Formats: sequence, C-alpha cells, structure tokens
Amino acid sequence: MHRLAAVAVSALLVSAPAQAEIKLGFITALSGPAAALGIPYANGMKAARKYKAKIGNETVTLIQLDDGSDPAATTRNARKLVEEEKVDILIGTATAPGTIAMATIANELGVPMIAVSPIKIETADPAKQWTIAVPQPPMLMAKVVADRMKRDKVHNVGYIGFSDAWGDLVYAGGKAAEARGDIKLLTNERYARTDTSVTAQILRILATKPDGVLIGGSSTQAALPLLALADRGFKGHNYGLASLINPDFVRVGGKAAEGVQVSAGPVIVSEQLPDGHFSKKLSADFRAAYKEVNGSESRDGFSAYSFDAYLIFAGAAERALGKAKPGTLEFRKALRDEMLNTKELAGVHAVYNFKPGQGYGVDDRSLVIVKLKDGKWIYAP
Amino acid sequence: MSRRAMLILSCIAVVALACAPLLFSSFTISLFNYVGIYALVAIGLALLTGVAGIVSFGQAAFVGVAAYATAWASALNGYSPWLGLLLAIVLTCAVAAVLGAATLRLEGHFLSLSTLAWGLAIGFLFGNIEGLGNFSGISNIPPIRIGGHALMKSEEIYYLILLIVVLSLVAMYNLLDSRWGRALRALRGGNVLVESLGVNAFQTKLAAFVIAAFLAALSGWLYAHMSRFVSPASFDAAMGIEYLMMAMVGGQGSLIGGVVGASIITFLKNAIQDYLPLISPNAAGQLEVVAFAAIFIVFLQYARRGVVPFIAARLPSARPTTPASAAALDMRVQPKAGAPLLKVDQAMRRFGGLIAVNAVSFDVRAGEIVGLIGPNGAGKSTMFNLLTGALKLDGGAIEFSGLPIHGAPQRAIARAGIARTFQHVKLRPRMSVLDNVLLGAHGRLQSGIVRGMLRLDRTEEARARAEAMRQLERTGLAEHAFDAAGSLPLGKQRLVEIARALAADPTLLVLDEPAAGLRRNEKMELATLLRELRADKLTVLLVEHDMEFVMSLVDRIVVMDFGSKISEGLPAEVRADPRVQEAYLGGVA
Amino acid sequence: MTFDIAAILAVDGIASGAIYALVAIGTVLLFSVTRVMFVPFGDLAAFTALTLAALDDGKTPGTVNLVIALAVLAFAMEALALVRAGKMKMLPRAALFYLVIPIAVALAVRLLAPATPPLPVRLIMALALIVPVAPLLDRIVFRPVADAPVLVLLIIAVALHFALVGLGLLFFGPEGVRTQPLTSWSTEILGAMVSGQTVCIVIAAVALSALLYVGFEFTLTGKALRATSSNRTGARLMGVRPARAGTIAYVLSSILAGVSGLLIAPVNTIFYDSGFLIGLKAFVGAIIGGLHSYPGAAIGAVIVGLLESFASFASSSLKDVIVFSVLVPILVWRSLVSVHIEEEDEE
Repeated sequence: MHRLAAVAVSALLVSAPAQAEIKLGFITALSGPAAALGIPYANGMKAARKYKAKIGNETVTLIQLDDGSDPAATTRNARKLVEEEKVDILIGTATAPGTIAMATIANELGVPMIAVSPIKIETADPAKQWTIAVPQPPMLMAKVVADRMKRDKVHNVGYIGFSDAWGDLVYAGGKAAEARGDIKLLTNERYARTDTSVTAQILRILATKPDGVLIGGSSTQAALPLLALADRGFKGHNYGLASLINPDFVRVGGKAAEGVQVSAGPVIVSEQLPDGHFSKKLSADFRAAYKEVNGSESRDGFSAYSFDAYLIFAGAAERALGKAKPGTLEFRKALRDEMLNTKELAGVHAVYNFKPGQGYGVDDRSLVIVKLKDGKWIYAP
Repeated sequence: MSRRAMLILSCIAVVALACAPLLFSSFTISLFNYVGIYALVAIGLALLTGVAGIVSFGQAAFVGVAAYATAWASALNGYSPWLGLLLAIVLTCAVAAVLGAATLRLEGHFLSLSTLAWGLAIGFLFGNIEGLGNFSGISNIPPIRIGGHALMKSEEIYYLILLIVVLSLVAMYNLLDSRWGRALRALRGGNVLVESLGVNAFQTKLAAFVIAAFLAALSGWLYAHMSRFVSPASFDAAMGIEYLMMAMVGGQGSLIGGVVGASIITFLKNAIQDYLPLISPNAAGQLEVVAFAAIFIVFLQYARRGVVPFIAARLPSARPTTPASAAALDMRVQPKAGAPLLKVDQAMRRFGGLIAVNAVSFDVRAGEIVGLIGPNGAGKSTMFNLLTGALKLDGGAIEFSGLPIHGAPQRAIARAGIARTFQHVKLRPRMSVLDNVLLGAHGRLQSGIVRGMLRLDRTEEARARAEAMRQLERTGLAEHAFDAAGSLPLGKQRLVEIARALAADPTLLVLDEPAAGLRRNEKMELATLLRELRADKLTVLLVEHDMEFVMSLVDRIVVMDFGSKISEGLPAEVRADPRVQEAYLGGVA
Repeated sequence: MTFDIAAILAVDGIASGAIYALVAIGTVLLFSVTRVMFVPFGDLAAFTALTLAALDDGKTPGTVNLVIALAVLAFAMEALALVRAGKMKMLPRAALFYLVIPIAVALAVRLLAPATPPLPVRLIMALALIVPVAPLLDRIVFRPVADAPVLVLLIIAVALHFALVGLGLLFFGPEGVRTQPLTSWSTEILGAMVSGQTVCIVIAAVALSALLYVGFEFTLTGKALRATSSNRTGARLMGVRPARAGTIAYVLSSILAGVSGLLIAPVNTIFYDSGFLIGLKAFVGAIIGGLHSYPGAAIGAVIVGLLESFASFASSSLKDVIVFSVLVPILVWRSLVSVHIEEEDEE
C-alpha cells in the first residue's frame, strides 16, 4: 500500500516509470498552525523536483507527508518514511520542534537529513551527525539586522514576537547581539498568531521609548505589531527577519509596514542583484520552475529553502552514487559523508560549505538587507 | 462469555501481542507503541469520564507534566529515567490532587469547562518556562535502561509498553470490581444517592481523578523516552480532545475500550495518510483532517456508545455464578424494642419566604413502624430530607440513638445506621441487581483502592456478596440477582432499593413513598415484607401518601399539613381526628 | 500603570470583548435551542471574513463550492430519510430548501463575484453565502443524533470544527486576510482613540443581545424555541417541532456569525483557523454569563476581553495562562451562585 501511495506521488511528478530511484522523504506541515510556512515549503520542493528530476541515471522519487504542525506526527512520519518506504534521505519540516523531533529519528535510524527550519544541531560527536540545516541560523539573521541597526544608530530596541519556537529563536538572536554590545533589547513581548490585538504589548514597548522595534513574527500576522505601532504613532525604525517576507504581510501591513528592514536571503530580491551574483541566475531558474509546477509566482523565502535543500542533496547524491547503490545503508552513509563535504555549492539563498561537526553551512553572503518600499522589497545594501 | 473464556481469550491476546514484533515491520510496531501510550490515557478517561461521569479535556496536560518532569530529570540533569518516572508520577498526581480539590465540586459542564481551562493554561505554560526549552522543547532525552541495556528500538520499548498497559488494565478491572469501584460506578447516579450509601462522593471523584492522572503520567513518561523529545505542541488542547475521542470511540465506560479507541484512531489516521493521496493527490494533507473528522462523526452517528458496547451487545452474555456462602459480615447490635431511637425536636426549614417544615417534633422508638403522612405539599419530603441529611435544618434538633445528627453530612448519618430509599427510584440501571445491593454494604466493608487493585479484597468481597444475596432472598429477589436493575418492573425496583438499604445493616429504615406507583398486589407484598422486617427487630419510618397502605401497616402515625404537625397517634385515632379529615378532604368534609 | 494606559487597555479589551460577545450570543442561542455547544461557530465568522476578502479581490470565494457540496449532501440525506419514511410528498419542499435555494445563492455569488460589485452588495453576498452553511451542517451532522447526550453532541461539534478548519485551509489557503474598514471615522474616549469600526462592533453586540433577549422573552417563536430547549418531548407534544426550531436557531445564529465576521474582518487579521480561539473565548464568556442569558453572555465575553487585555499588559507571554487560570475561580463562583439541580446521568 505504501508503495502505491508513493508511486502515486511520483507519477504525479514524472511520467516516466521509476525503475532505478533515489527515495527522498519530505515532511512538511500542509495543515495546522504552521501551514502558512509548510505549504510554501511543499511548493518549493515541487519546483526543485521539476528543476532536477534525475541525479546521474537515477530518478528521484519524492514521498511527501503532512505532519499537521504536530511534532508527534513528524516523529511518526519520519519513522514511516525510513522504516516503511526505506528512503535514502529526509528533508523537513515547517516547525522547529518538529524538525528537532525529526532529527532525533534521523540520528537514531542512521538516515541523512536536511532541516529546512532553523534548529540547533547536536554536533558533539561528528561520527553520529546525520543532520544539516539549510536556513540561515536566526543568530546570523539577527546579527545582520543588528549590524544594520547599528548603522541606523538604533540602540534601544523593543522586541515583540510569536509565542512559539520562532519567537524564542529571534529573541535569542537579539539577546546575542545585545551581548556583543551592538544593541540593547528592552522588552520581550509575545503574541499568538490568532490573537486579535497586541495593543497592550505595544503600550509596554512604547513605555520603554525604543529607537526601533524588532519583530519576531512570521507571514501575515507579523504585520499585527506594525499596525498597532502605527496606530500609536510610533516613528522609529522597524526591523524583522526573513520570516516577514510574504505577499500577504505586505498587503495586510499596508502603510504601516512601509520602511521595515529585513535580513533575508538574496533570492528575495534576486532581480535587483548585481549581475554575476551567485543567486541571480539560479533564482530565475527556480522561479521559472516554481511557476511551471505551482502556477503562481514565488514571493517567499521558505520555498527557496526547500529548493536549496534539494540542491545540496542532489550534489551529495551525485557524488555518493559512485560509492554505493541507493536503498542501502552504504549509500546513506556515503550520502551523509558527501553532504557534510559540500563545498562552495551555490543555492538561491547562500553559498553552502559544510563539514563534519557543523550543522550550518552558510556565511555572510547568505543575507542581504531588504527594505519595504511602496509595497515592494528593495535591495538595500 | 464466561469469565474463564474471557481469561483464556485475554491470555491468547497477550501472547499474540508479545509475538507481534516477529510479524510486523518496525514502523507498525512503533504505531503499536503509540497505541499503548495513548491507550493508558484513554483507559484513565474511560474510568473518569465513562464510569464516574467526569468529562475531562485536560488529560493531555497531565501527560505533558509527566513528560516534561522526566525530560527535565533525565535530559537536563542527567538522572536515570527511572528517577524521572518517580518524579513524573509524584508531580502529576500532586498537580491532579490540587486541581481536583479545587474543581471537582463543580457540576456538569462547569466541571468539563474547568478541565478545558486548566488544560489550556498548563499547555500554554510549558512554552513559557525558560528552564524547559521554551517552545522548542527538550531534545536528546535518554532512552530507558533496563539492567544496562538501553531500550532504543521500537521493538524493545514495545515490551515495556505492553507490560505497563496490561498491568494497568488488570489493575483497573480489579478496581472496578471492588468496593471502591462500585462506589465509583454509582457516582453517575448523583451525589444524593452515593452519599446516602455512606460514600464520600467528593473523595471518590478525587481518587478517580488522581488515578486517571497517574495513568497519564505513565503515558507521558513512556512518550518522553520513546520519542526522546518533548515540546509543548504535543500536549495542547487538540491532543486533550483527541484522547477524549479515543475513549468515546472505544466505548464510554469500557476500560478495554480505551485500548480499542486508541488503536482505531491511530491506525485510522495512518490509513487516511496512506490512502488519501490515491483519491486526492493534490490536497491530501489538508483533507486528512477533514476525512478523519468525517469518519469520526459518521461513526458517532451510528455507534454512539462506542465500539466495545456495540460488540458486547452482540455477544452471548456470561452466566455468572451465584455467590458461595461465606462468613457473615459483622452486624450491629440492634437497640432494645421500645427504646427511643429517633427524636425530632422543633425542626424548622425555610425555602426563601416559604416555611416548608415548621417546628415539627416527633419520636420513633426501636422496633416500631411509624408512618409520616400528609397531603401533597405538606412538607413530608422536606422532613425526610432533613432526617437523612440531604437538607440542613434552619432550627431545632434531630437526635439519633442519643446523638445529634442535624448538621452531619448525609454519609455520616447513613453510617450511623439510617438507611433510606428514594421516592423516584435511584438504582444504577446498567449494574446488576446484586451489585446494586452490594452498594448498600459499602459502609460495612474496609478494603481500599490498593487492596482492590491487587485483588486482596476477595475474602471480604465474598462475605459481602453472600450478605447481598441474603438480602435479595429476604426481599424475594434472588432469581433476579444478575439481571440489570433497570430491566425490572417498578415494584421490583423498589424492593431492590429496600434490599440495598438492608445490606447496610441499618437500625432505622426510612422509606420515601415506597408504595407510590405500585399495583395492589405489589403493595400487599411490600406490606408483608415490612412486617417481617419489624419481626426481625428493625425500625421503619415511612413517608407515605397512600392512607390505606399506611393504616393497615404502621404502629403509629404522624400527620403533617402545610409544614406543621397536625396530629399524631395510633392509626384509628388519627383516622378519627377531624383536622386530619379536613386536611385530606379539604372543604368537602 | 497610568490612567491613560488603563483607558487604552480598557477600550482595547472592550473591543476584543465585543467580538467575543457576538460569537458568545450565537453560542448561547444554539445551545439553548439545540443543546449543541456549536464549537464551529467561530469558524463560520472567520469564513465570512475570508469570503468577504475574496469578494473584495474579485475572486470566487471557496465558500461557493462548500455550500454547493453541503447542499447536495444534505438534500441526499433528507431525500433518503423521506423516501424511507414514505413521505414522498414532502420531497419537492425539501428540494427547495436544501438544494435549490442554497445552490441558487452560491451560483448567484459566483456569477457576480468577478464584477466586484460595490461594498454593500459584497457584504450581502458574503452574508447570504454563509447563512446556509450552519443549517445544512445541522441536517448532515446533528439531525441524525439530535437525542444524543450533551457530551456526544459536544464531541461531534469539536470534530466538525476540525473538519471545517481543514476545509477552510483548502478553500481559503493558509494566509490571513484583513478587509477594508467600513468606516474611517474615529473618536476619542477617556484619552484613548476609538475607531468607528470598534464602535460598530460594540453597538452590534449590545443591539443583538438586546434583540435576542426581547425576541425570546416576548414573541411566540421565541417562546417556542425556548420550550424546545427546556424539554424536547414536551415541546413536541405542544406542537413545536424540534427540528424546525433547530433550523430557525441555526439560521439566526448563522446571521450572527456572518455579521460578526463582517465586522471583525477589517480590525483583525483573520485566518482559516482563527475561529477556534475566538470561539473558545466566546464560549468562556457565555459560561461566565450562565449559558442561558444573552446579556449575560455579552457581559461575560467583555470580561474575557478585558481580562485578556490587562493580562497582555502584565505579561504578554503568560497571557493565555493567566486568562485560563483565572477562569477556574470564576467557574467555581459561577457554580456556587447558579441554581443547582441534581441530575441523574443515565449514560
């Protein structure tokens, strides 16, 4: 039965029958609170699969499962993919807790995994490391934003973020910048995605008289604090991380969101990048593939993480195919080793370099500051 | 099915389950593991919601408290998971005891809503505790070790889960079949009923609540060390609702239903995930929850009481064995005939501006049958409730065997030796007649929860069953001992109530309109029974509407009208009293 | 906390509370007539907002397909029931109510949507589209189990909520919407800015709870509905058909849900799953109000809104912990003051 479902998914994506195949197990949140992130992740994966359907002579079979934003379901799905479907690699998922749960399974069962959400990766014993992460770590994102705050002479910063793992991560990033002495974080206000009002939180922030406010929300509802700040006549600077980049954020935020500065992957403003930038040509290809399979424009950073994860996997798999046959433990080990041996691989978000003992493979090149102007994200170097 | 067949079947099931890892893939076994972990919570809910009637939406929070406790101990502080188990159990039960003490006096949906409220509050709290990893949770929880061997694989922890689930089930079935379990099963009959049996309703509820939390703690401990990761999302309101769904699908009030429900929901979700992409490849993820909810709704539309009762109703029922004779339970020493037993002195009770009982005084002496009569609205029922402690006096005093009982809780009065029946019969309709009568003996037995779980109460139980059987014979109901109480005609149901009262070995039997709704021959049988009881030195006070029935039976009569006593004396005297005639016949006389 | 801040928080709390109040009133209405704790009520409000947002963009809202699918299913069930009962004569009437009217509404909206008619028309379109949803769901989901215990009905309502959230995600997508405000007028009360939209919501909450109170106390239909709620068998004997009373209640409360959805869409970002927490807090408000009184429910909901607003100021991360913890003592108090009737629970 599981084979049937898997074949159904692959048949959807390629018309050729899958004889030799590399199996990719992909988990995302198509429902539940994180669906707003999980669906773009899924779309990006579809685009990546379209962009590069074959690695060497092997077809990639994509098996996608929904975890409903629940880490317990992620765990179950990861086990199912490894134990029932015998996947060669895992990629996922939309929530940080789910991704951590998934990495636990990947390490336990010995399957290479690429995380598309920012998580802390245990690298104490490199021999047991099976997981790497694609996104820019929130620490780095926050650092880039903090550098910009410094340049803008914004020192006292109010923080408001989601009451979830993402809100925690952004706050921790801000705290790290504070420890470096770049900025001073005055508040730690939280709100839920489905809250109807953040007036009280904004009052608290304004009472500390900040120069700027850092937003730790994501997608549409990241606009809620900006709307409340505008209501109360706040004139300072607003900052955010890549999670703000979303067409509905711009639409809902309207005037209130104008001028917000965000650290994001270059893919967001790829058209505006100088010629010869690593992301420019690749992003155009990604967008073309995205439009072809999803019928709409890609305007977010999340789908691009899936795309980059796939590129890293494809690069490593190509090299690993020389060492072992897909579907075997040897292949998984080779894939893991090659993944951790990725050198100067250009993606749409970053140029990736991994090595054993490191969970993240991005550097300063992976982030640019973009500013919202007249409803468009403008590259603001 | 007989008990032996049941036992053999259970053994076969356990052996089959023990062999499962040889037959199924690793993933299927991990699904079994989830079933076991969820089933523990669902068994607790079957006890709490199905048996005791306390609907709890908050069990997920208890699972979370336990999971976080053991994660904190083992992953963050390096202690053994076994120490984590101890901490998980102690902490979870303590939280449950405090919450239960605060909320279990609430009634109906106030209670269920409060479980939802604190369930949500605790769920939201996990993500806000710095030391517990905030919303990201705690990872790298070590596996459970037994004798130096780590239970890493699904197949390894499977046996531990299986063992815990089986032991829990056995303990809970034993418990339901004990003195305490009967009291628990009686809870849905309302506080007045259980308190009249000498049971402390609140304590019983609290104990059930803590036991359900204990099972949730076991589940949380296993969950943390199996998935080796905890985060707040696994213990939120949605999960609390899902546990309740499992208990309901399995069958309200059926312990094994908890296991069945957990299996159905877990495997159904897995099947939906497997098959839905075939029907709708593009929107499978979003439709999963829709399909699941739709199947669940259709299921409840057709099998509202759940799977296990649905199947059980179609199986041949067991023919239980009649209790063997056993040593009699200790008996009270009945007071000497003629000694003053009950003394009501200037009893007063108001409802707002209305005086329902106005300075009523009368006595009952040992060995007599006294009738308390009066037309509708005379205040008889209020007087009755004052005597049994269901209502509190506003003034005056009531003494029983020389001790004041006004102000005492119902259960204390019941234990002092006043046993009652109800005007509207209060039996547990689905329990057998024998079990209903056994409820009456509650105050004469000592076994507690632990003895019940471990089945150390068998000698006492045998004596109690023999006693209940004796009371059934005394009331002529022996042939109905194993029928469901609700299946008997009203006349017989009244007799069951009397048998239940007799099982308490009372000094004074108070009967609330025992003849109401009875046919003529049934009334005559009842009168005969009451005369026999008097011959056995029992004292009877009956509140009755039916003059004819009372006149032929009682030694003395007290007549009330408009809240006051208007007459007292021998039946013939009372019959001749013009005030009584006027009260009964009104202006016509 | 200064007076200014307290005033702003109070206004904010009342604004949120008024939203909860609209939903709470609908919850009480449905509970008192049908004994169903209609958990998906908040979802209906959210769907109305999402429908309006789609209409604003000139798109065909997903609700159109939802209504058509529900209508077909409901009519199929009703037709089957009628055929089985041998009441073929009633088929045309059933077809009219369960099939023709809802589908006509859905098709009309579909035809009109691309033209982006003026705002008042769009409001009516959104409302007209959402009103059939609850009565159709009643026919499909609750009618077959009308005599079930309250707990079973509650659990079914919860399952229905999950189904609707899934459908909402499918039809409307994961992103939130915020529609154009109905008015840009605003005023200052006690030093706090109050938007015209908030005033509209408060007025709607007060007016609707008063209207329902009067309607139920003083009109024949209202009395019939109340009779159904207190005793189904009794009501049937008196010639009130519980099913019909239920349908009236569902239509009324759908209108309420629709109105609240239209009113909150411009002040809050509404997601496909926003309904749950709004519904939950409204439910809490309704309980505080005693579950049977409309003004009580409205006041209870405003208490929740205020509590939430001040708790957010005290500690925003612990806001929900505070709101739901405070609820427990409130419940204990409510339980003490409410008239206690011992009920025997016959499984």
